[in-house]
Amino acid sequence: MQASRARLFKEYKEVQREKAVDPDIQLVCDDSNIFKWTALIKGPTETPYEGGVFQLAFSVPEQYPLQPPQVRFLTKIFHPNVHFKTGEICLDILKNAWSPAWTLQSVCRAIIALMAHPEPDSPLNCDSGNLLRSGDIEVINPWQECILDLQRHQRKGEYVQ
Amino acid sequence: MEDYGGSDDEYYYSDDRESLDGLDNEESDFHWVPSKGPSTKIITKESLLAAQREDLRRVMEMLSLREHHARTLLIHYRWDVERLFAAFVEKGKSYLFTEAGVTVVEQLDVDSPLTSSSTVTCDICIEDVSGNKATRMDCGHCFCNDCWTEHFIVKINGGQSRRIRCMAHKCNAICDEAVVRNLVSKKHPDLAEKFDRFLLESYIEDNKMVKWCPSIPHCGNAIRIEEDECCEVECSCGLQFCFSCFSEAHSPCSCLMWELWSKKCQDESETVNWITVHTKPCPKCHKPVEKNGGCNLVSCICGQSFCWLCGGSTGRDHTWSRISGHSCGRYKEDQEKKTERAKRDLYRYMHYHNRYKAHTDSFKLESKLKETILEKVSISEERESRLRDFSWVNNGLYRLFRSRRVLSYSYPFAFYMFGEELFKDEMTTEEREIKQNLFEDQQQQLESNVEKLSKFLEEPFEQYTDEKVMEIRMQVINLSTITDNLCKKMYECIESDLLGALQLGTHNIAPYKSKGIEKASELSSCWSNKVNTADKCLPSDGNTSGGASQHDKPSGSRSSADSGCSSWKRARRDGGGFLDLNLPAEIMDRN
Repeated sequence: MQASRARLFKEYKEVQREKAVDPDIQLVCDDSNIFKWTALIKGPTETPYEGGVFQLAFSVPEQYPLQPPQVRFLTKIFHPNVHFKTGEICLDILKNAWSPAWTLQSVCRAIIALMAHPEPDSPLNCDSGNLLRSGDIEVINPWQECILDLQRHQRKGEYVQ
Repeated sequence: MEDYGGSDDEYYYSDDRESLDGLDNEESDFHWVPSKGPSTKIITKESLLAAQREDLRRVMEMLSLREHHARTLLIHYRWDVERLFAAFVEKGKSYLFTEAGVTVVEQLDVDSPLTSSSTVTCDICIEDVSGNKATRMDCGHCFCNDCWTEHFIVKINGGQSRRIRCMAHKCNAICDEAVVRNLVSKKHPDLAEKFDRFLLESYIEDNKMVKWCPSIPHCGNAIRIEEDECCEVECSCGLQFCFSCFSEAHSPCSCLMWELWSKKCQDESETVNWITVHTKPCPKCHKPVEKNGGCNLVSCICGQSFCWLCGGSTGRDHTWSRISGHSCGRYKEDQEKKTERAKRDLYRYMHYHNRYKAHTDSFKLESKLKETILEKVSISEERESRLRDFSWVNNGLYRLFRSRRVLSYSYPFAFYMFGEELFKDEMTTEEREIKQNLFEDQQQQLESNVEKLSKFLEEPFEQYTDEKVMEIRMQVINLSTITDNLCKKMYECIESDLLGALQLGTHNIAPYKSKGIEKASELSSCWSNKVNTADKCLPSDGNTSGGASQHDKPSGSRSSADSGCSSWKRARRDGGGFLDLNLPAEIMDRN
């Protein structure tokens, strides 16, 4: 418990230092609980998610960094490896390929990479996976556009893009 | 018993052929030829380490490796040394190591020894620690001891201690077990013990040629086989089981057939079938209703009346010609077919199950018969008679057990082999009929000979004259040979004519052995390479009767006391026992 707190505190400091370096990721720690984090990530360019801002919720276990954090999308996203309802992410580094050398920041980068390069063969969203497998990337675009439009209306300019 | 015989054919009757005159053969010289040791070995808690060391030593010598690297390789290759060597020859050392996560440091980097003066930044806790508080693994990654320890603890508690990987991202290297043990024991000595136990038991858990004995309560033994995975073995606790599926020994049934049959016998599938055949559901409460007589207007206990012919609900009143509120007479072909089929399937199942049950029950009764027969033998031996050698009784009894067992399991085999559940599309109706007739002929022959053998063994021969006993003796010897040959033939028929032409991969059966299910011998913890001759059963002075073999006790039974040698040839009464010069001195002294 103590070790994980110390590690998270160091990561917090690192995040503060790197804010300017990586503008695509904003990691925010919960004021009352260092084991709860929120991240805002920008949709990668040249993907259906470009122009969108996606909110992630991190729940860090007490045995972190020996065990991976639980991460899910709070923003609705139409992606083969993300459960449309729960926001659960199917990513190996969050399951069996986790290494204690990963940080919350690097997890965010891995998720951005997943958004740019989906894995349609291990889908949590079967519809999206099937569309991508059959090469209908054009169909995913309008889907995600609808979601992004909704998102923009709800946000009312809260987050700077 | 095993230690006296030669080939399968000579195994049981060698002494009988030599002394058909029935006279005591005391003076003939006896040459004990030790048979090849059993190919199945029992691994106890004590001998587990020796068994593991043997394989480790081979790999360490062959590849010039340290013990933990050899273990990592063996765990990766599931303790299959031959497969490991084959991969080494085909693909080379570097492939072998990369695949298994072994990093062999050829030469330690002189520039980076960890000393107390040097400081290292641990990428896990992001702390700067002095060199003596950090550890570098073979792969070159270095983290602080606290982080390593926590990592090891998480992995051991998660049951992954057999292959603990380095903490660095995408590093496939397996951590040195000595480092793991050293770091964990400082904080949690009990976990270090657990780690050692897991490493030791990996020899059983990860090894497809070694399995725990499935006895309940567990006897603590594991069985190692040398050749075929599809075989039946007997543990020293007396349990006979199929090595492939852990259930009771069931050949000539394949594992899949036996699994289906056990399930069929246990669950209520046939009850459901009976209900389908003999009852109709009430249209109101849907409970099954049986018509126990009377006309086709049936009343359910819920008060609803319905027509037995079509199952439709009706009024209560009826005349000779019609039931009020209902008229039926339309032929519903599907329903008829379904009922007929269910009826046929039920009768078919009952046919095979009844015969299977009959032979299983006979087997259990004959197992109890053993004591009675041995009593008869001892009475006969005490009589003033020319006949002294009664080993034919033991041999006959043993053959009866073995054949009865084969016979009882041949019925579930036939049920699936010639039914439509497994091989519906594999044979035409004509082919199925021909094969079924062939098999059933053999089954019938075996059955009649087994019953004859049983009848002769139950004779009260202790009351008969020598001539009558000689007659029975000849019959028992002949029938024993015949049933053995018939069993062999049946297995050959199954393997080549029936299963051979079909899905052989799915339906392998344990081969038939005249000697019966092989009793595993203990793997010695001191001389791990040799057969443990201490377990050999040496004839003792004046052992005239001896017990029948235990090879064919009903599955799941335990044997403790009756492990005496069988009376193949009795030891001379002048005290000249038989010595095996290969035995260790202390055992020689004991004898």
